[in-house]
Amino acid sequence: MRLLPFEYAARNLGRSPLRLGISVLGSTLVVVLAIAAFAFVRGMDRSLADSGSADNVILMGAGSEESIERSEVRPNVAGQAEASIFGIRSEAGRAFVSPEVHAALGVALEPDAEPVGQAVFRGVVPAAFQVHPQVRITEGRSFRPGADEVIVGELAATRLGVPNERLALGQVVYVDGRPLTIVGRFAAPNTVMNAEVWAPLTNLQIMTKRDGVSCVVLTLDEGEFADVDVFVKSRVDLELAAITERDYYRQLSNFYKPVKMMIWVTAILIGVGGLLGGLNTMYAAFASRIREVGTLQSLGYPRRAVMLSFVQESMLAAATGAVLGALIALLLLDGVSIKFSMGAFGLLLDGPTVGFGIAAGLGLGLFGSIPPTLRCLRMPIAESLKAA
Amino acid sequence: MALIECRQLTKTYRKGESTIKPLDRLDLDVEQGSFLALMGPSGSGKTTLLNLIAGIDHPTSGSLTIDGQNIAKLSRSKLAAWRSDNVGYVFQLYNLVPVLTAYENVELPMLLHPISRKERHERVATALSLVGLADRHDHYPRQLSGGQEQRVAIARAIVTDPAILVADEPTGDLDKPSALAVMDLLTRLNQELGKTLIMVTHDAQTAEYANRTLHLDKGRLADDSVQAAFSGETATTQGAAS
Repeated sequence: MRLLPFEYAARNLGRSPLRLGISVLGSTLVVVLAIAAFAFVRGMDRSLADSGSADNVILMGAGSEESIERSEVRPNVAGQAEASIFGIRSEAGRAFVSPEVHAALGVALEPDAEPVGQAVFRGVVPAAFQVHPQVRITEGRSFRPGADEVIVGELAATRLGVPNERLALGQVVYVDGRPLTIVGRFAAPNTVMNAEVWAPLTNLQIMTKRDGVSCVVLTLDEGEFADVDVFVKSRVDLELAAITERDYYRQLSNFYKPVKMMIWVTAILIGVGGLLGGLNTMYAAFASRIREVGTLQSLGYPRRAVMLSFVQESMLAAATGAVLGALIALLLLDGVSIKFSMGAFGLLLDGPTVGFGIAAGLGLGLFGSIPPTLRCLRMPIAESLKAA
Repeated sequence: MALIECRQLTKTYRKGESTIKPLDRLDLDVEQGSFLALMGPSGSGKTTLLNLIAGIDHPTSGSLTIDGQNIAKLSRSKLAAWRSDNVGYVFQLYNLVPVLTAYENVELPMLLHPISRKERHERVATALSLVGLADRHDHYPRQLSGGQEQRVAIARAIVTDPAILVADEPTGDLDKPSALAVMDLLTRLNQELGKTLIMVTHDAQTAEYANRTLHLDKGRLADDSVQAAFSGETATTQGAAS
């Protein structure tokens, strides 16, 4: 099939700068929005997925499997698990067993001030750094056991809604008037821990007025989940439930499904709005060229060639918008963190996300051009030639 | 054998409840190299006949044989290919593509033919020279007068060297000097290059350029006259082909 020259499609774009502007703008907006929605959902998913390790098992209070914060585990469980469960990883004689207290606490910046927000605190012992190898101290040092010291994740400031400098090394924050000095900062990229504040286990037990812990996280080496399950079921007196860390966060991810769904629905609705706007623009643009379509066909161009040229034209505008949209999205959204109840997560702006956005823009160009083109081409040539 | 043979050529349209018949069982032969003018009141079927001969419309019944091929039986895509090989169309409102230069407009039908860029360039240049617009090749339609636009349209119609040229009121939108220039050009194409030319016109003076004039009325042939310039004397056959 012989095609119309590419210049025909390209120059047709210049016929109406206003229409071109509207088409490009529509595509740009849809692409920015698609990238934002996709980056949000993927960022949240990754944050929850990467938070869980395949080898880690969480021992929680029976009946509280849905929330670590509500879970209550007796103080002696860590020791009993370490002694009883087969195949727990250990290094230099230290077993990878981490008793932890999880609590959302109000953080104030001054001793008597109202809290500026809630941060997710995790009270831990040194073994926590073994079972959560994603956590790396990037500045300062770890806290000393028993001291009123904390280390903060790199997104903790986002979670609290305060400037990053306010959680710099040496700064002091207050929980119920108790001063906590920031002695270190850590990174746990793409995990919920990245927005947490870590403190010595005993301090957090005091601050939350509890004897036990929220959970015990252990890393298996040769052992399997079944080994942990046998322990839990044989020690009914401890009232425990076991869940792999991955399953726990997957379950949390399901909890956020309605939020993600809402974001998709909003994005799709706006995308449909963009599509309808694009259709309207293209209907108007192509309707004014019906006679030209008839002329091209009378010269011998088959309908497919004319159609392809019109689609090409629409795709050119959409592609321009898509590139612009992708650039704007990268400029505006790169490095942006969103806070949610589990902490905070960064928008995931990678190749697939940007690719998805650009594909949405190109899809808009494609599907926005086909119906108006078909409408033009459906008319008999003789009728087209009579068009105004 | 005539170049164009219409037998019982009929075209009907449905418009709401009623059926319109712009062409009604028309029989017509057109010899190669003739210059035929189609006249008649609005709705008489002259443009319908022109469009059928140009292959941009399908007859409802009857046969339309051009150079031995019954084009009434061709599929839409084959008819498109046939058009690009055999017909050049000149429109009343020129129908140039506004975003393309005169050169590119003339080149447009050539792109449907598998020839080298060099040959294409030569043929476009020749066509533009023939219509006297070689120096305007890089002008856009908006930069040309109506007469010049129509001459570019004629160059576009002849660039593929088709056997048949069809023209629908080619001077209908032109001032008198431009109309004369266009008619002189069309006559030259008929007489010097041997193109078979079929032209719809309302204007009796314009029809005089043709060597045969058909008057249509209600889709049938009302009058068929052969001008002196062609036959040596004017002969009129009332309803000859009906």
